[in-house]
Amino acid sequence: MRWASELLLVPALAWLGVFFVYPIGRLFYASLFTPAFSLDSYARLGRSPIYLTVFVNTFEISVTVMLIALLLGYPLAFLLATAGRRASGLMLVAIVLPLWTSVLVRTYAWMVLLGRRGLVNEGLQTLGLTDAPLPLLYNRLGVTIGMVHVLLPFMVLPIYSVMKGIDVDLLKAAQNLGANRRQAFLRVYVPLSLSGLATGCLVVFVSALGFFVTPALLGGRGDTMIAMLIDVQVSQLLDWGLGAALAVVLFAVTAAILFGVQRLTGAERLWVRVP
Amino acid sequence: MSSIDRRYVLKMGVLTAASAATSAGGPWIARAQSKQLVVCSWGGAYQEAQRKTMFQPFEKETGIKIVEASPTDYGKLKAMVQSGNVEWDLVDVGDLNVVAGAKDNLLEPLDYQQIDTKGVFPQVVHKYGIGTIYYSTVLAFSTKKYPKGDHPKTWAQFWDVAKFPGPRTMRNNPLDNLEFALLADDVPMDKVYPLDVERAFRVMDRIKPHVNVWWTTGAQPAQLLADGEVELATSWNGRIFAIQKQGAKAGLEWNQGKLQWDSWVIPRGSKNRDGAMKFIAWSTQPKPQAAIANEIPYGPVNQKAFEFIGAQAARDMPTAPDNAKRQVMVDPVWWGEHRNVLVERWNAWLLK
Repeated sequence: MRWASELLLVPALAWLGVFFVYPIGRLFYASLFTPAFSLDSYARLGRSPIYLTVFVNTFEISVTVMLIALLLGYPLAFLLATAGRRASGLMLVAIVLPLWTSVLVRTYAWMVLLGRRGLVNEGLQTLGLTDAPLPLLYNRLGVTIGMVHVLLPFMVLPIYSVMKGIDVDLLKAAQNLGANRRQAFLRVYVPLSLSGLATGCLVVFVSALGFFVTPALLGGRGDTMIAMLIDVQVSQLLDWGLGAALAVVLFAVTAAILFGVQRLTGAERLWVRVP
Repeated sequence: MSSIDRRYVLKMGVLTAASAATSAGGPWIARAQSKQLVVCSWGGAYQEAQRKTMFQPFEKETGIKIVEASPTDYGKLKAMVQSGNVEWDLVDVGDLNVVAGAKDNLLEPLDYQQIDTKGVFPQVVHKYGIGTIYYSTVLAFSTKKYPKGDHPKTWAQFWDVAKFPGPRTMRNNPLDNLEFALLADDVPMDKVYPLDVERAFRVMDRIKPHVNVWWTTGAQPAQLLADGEVELATSWNGRIFAIQKQGAKAGLEWNQGKLQWDSWVIPRGSKNRDGAMKFIAWSTQPKPQAAIANEIPYGPVNQKAFEFIGAQAARDMPTAPDNAKRQVMVDPVWWGEHRNVLVERWNAWLLK
């Protein structure tokens, strides 16, 4: 019976319903009914320019982090997919291992490395390359470095899993048909790995949007991200209406961007593995 | 549940079942649970001191078992009260949240028939909360940079980047900073409240370019001083003592600090309101107050506690008479009214 296989979806859907759809629904509700129906929370977002600035910040940082993670992650994934078994096993461990360390600890580690008296600055000064400590922390650079470090595995792993499935003989076939190495790579290999690349970008971008600890600890005064404002509203000022409205707007803008990207880049081709 | 806990519940169950025989009690397990007191505080060295000097002695004296939780989270507190599932009976909160919590109807009023407030500083006594300890936000400095007592001693000097150059950190919050800005602009200490907000932000404009890090957690300024990342900071006094003990080269200046306090509050709908009230009455007395202040250098809220504190230890406390008279006392009512608006304005100011 055909519907039997669809029944297998029920537990997952129920889980999503209880732990995702219901809370998001409550969030919508809280943004409109605290306590009685009003659009005041949303109106307040429009009244102060700070919320727009912080939204712009958040998307700027997330896109930057995504692009740098892609730049670093794609070659790494390629190396991983084409290396020998032992080498790729070791590299995989090295990539996955940081995921078991708390984000807070990794963020503090960056402070030790990048501070004014940190390893990097002391090293550069000892070598005579710089006279004064470079501002590597408490600015956009610090946030970007910290976030790329945390999110890089989420870029590498989806790309790697797709690359693993690509038949390398196709490259040889392309070269056999007259393509040079660069052409073979760009016109055969890259298109075949696009679905992994899209997944990696998506996961990194969306995760970056919700970042909180890293920008709070490594950022400067201009690097406020939206999750930091939501946290202050929810857990310090107890203004849940405004906190919920911020979360709803972030949710809606993110959904709109993802939908737009999907339409622009040729719909589901990006999300489904090309055989 | 460990075997000790289980035995305890069983034992309490038998006891209460016996007493329930004569009264119209509910299920015995619920009554057994009502005998325990769930206390939520801030964790870390502070909660360790509370455990040693307050929770454990109180448990021994009264037989009321204390179950600890941490850290305090106002969002959680509100969610518990609003959902009717109140897990905490007693919560250690900042002074502002007594005012805010009372306004939002999240707290039980305290029963001052049971609580003896003799000797307790009157400003920490509130209908919905009472002080736990005093702490201060103070000017802190690197003793590596300023070893001979030549550090800035006023906020005007902290603001004077020509005479005292070097990286600084301040809190990413209008709290404390607006007061310090007014003091830096020569507003007398007794004229700080109500804050002249416009003037304070104008003075903050002057220091903004010279602040390298805007801290968000209490551990940060201490860490930044210890690492040599900054040379001047605003910090909570207890954090500086903590890193001094670990050998960090840091010092603090009491002059023009801002005195404030933490409070005990009872969430509305607490399952053990009576136990919480008993704990508050017990812990506010001079001896437990002296015990915790001797353990960690925060100030007792009961001035009679100083009878049990050594002269040397008293000198390191925010409420020691010599320290207290050089500081500004927070006005939580003023902040309670203006905080939300000012946080929004602060965030906008910071991004400009």
